[in-house]
Amino acid sequence: MVNVPLYCDNTSAINLTKNPIQHFKYKNIEIRHNFIKDYVLKGDCEIKFVKIKNHMVDLFTKPLTHDRFNKLRTDLGILDMKNVI
Amino acid sequence: MENCKEFVTLIATNCYMVSDEARKQIDVIKYRWPIGSFLYLTASMLDIQLSVYMCARFQSNPRELHNKTEKRILMYLKGTINVGLWHPCNSKINLNGFLDFDFASCKLDWKIISGICHLLGSSFISWNNTKQICVYCNWGIVVLKLYG
Repeated sequence: MVNVPLYCDNTSAINLTKNPIQHFKYKNIEIRHNFIKDYVLKGDCEIKFVKIKNHMVDLFTKPLTHDRFNKLRTDLGILDMKNVI
Repeated sequence: MENCKEFVTLIATNCYMVSDEARKQIDVIKYRWPIGSFLYLTASMLDIQLSVYMCARFQSNPRELHNKTEKRILMYLKGTINVGLWHPCNSKINLNGFLDFDFASCKLDWKIISGICHLLGSSFISWNNTKQICVYCNWGIVVLKLYG
């Protein structure tokens, strides 16, 4: 498993992991919180941007409308038995 | 509850779970009893996770609003008896992670609710839903901490 993609919708957080030198104002962050940067540098994982409409994890963070709830549920592989068989 | 109507969603999009002190208090034991069963269900039914955790936060002092939300979960479950996780056998083996956090999502103490999930190919293998432990002044720390 090399370059495991981690999808996130926050562009500033993505840029922070890619180029830490440009963001010197964040130097007060403790080292233990920066370990994700080490993994990105090593090439174990890669943080990518995903559009909000394709962001599957919305199901866990906010209440959604019926259409969106159903779409995300199907994308995650939670299906109705009647439709599968 | 046997003849109740079925709901297709768990919470209304404008529903904020607050302490709701003005309304009548309901029986604590009656409120806690279904939550205990819901927590077992979250192991396989991940879609109810957010609303179950929202209800579980008010176990010590439940009000009518919380009871209503809890009943709605039961109504939703009634309509989704045949729904379950599907793992197709012919999907590719590539791991994908998704991460999101909702700023000040919990209206009670203005903490962040974060969610992480992992997909192996097209099958869903792990998920997590957490409320922030303590509040930071610096937003950058929050973002990095949530990645961990």
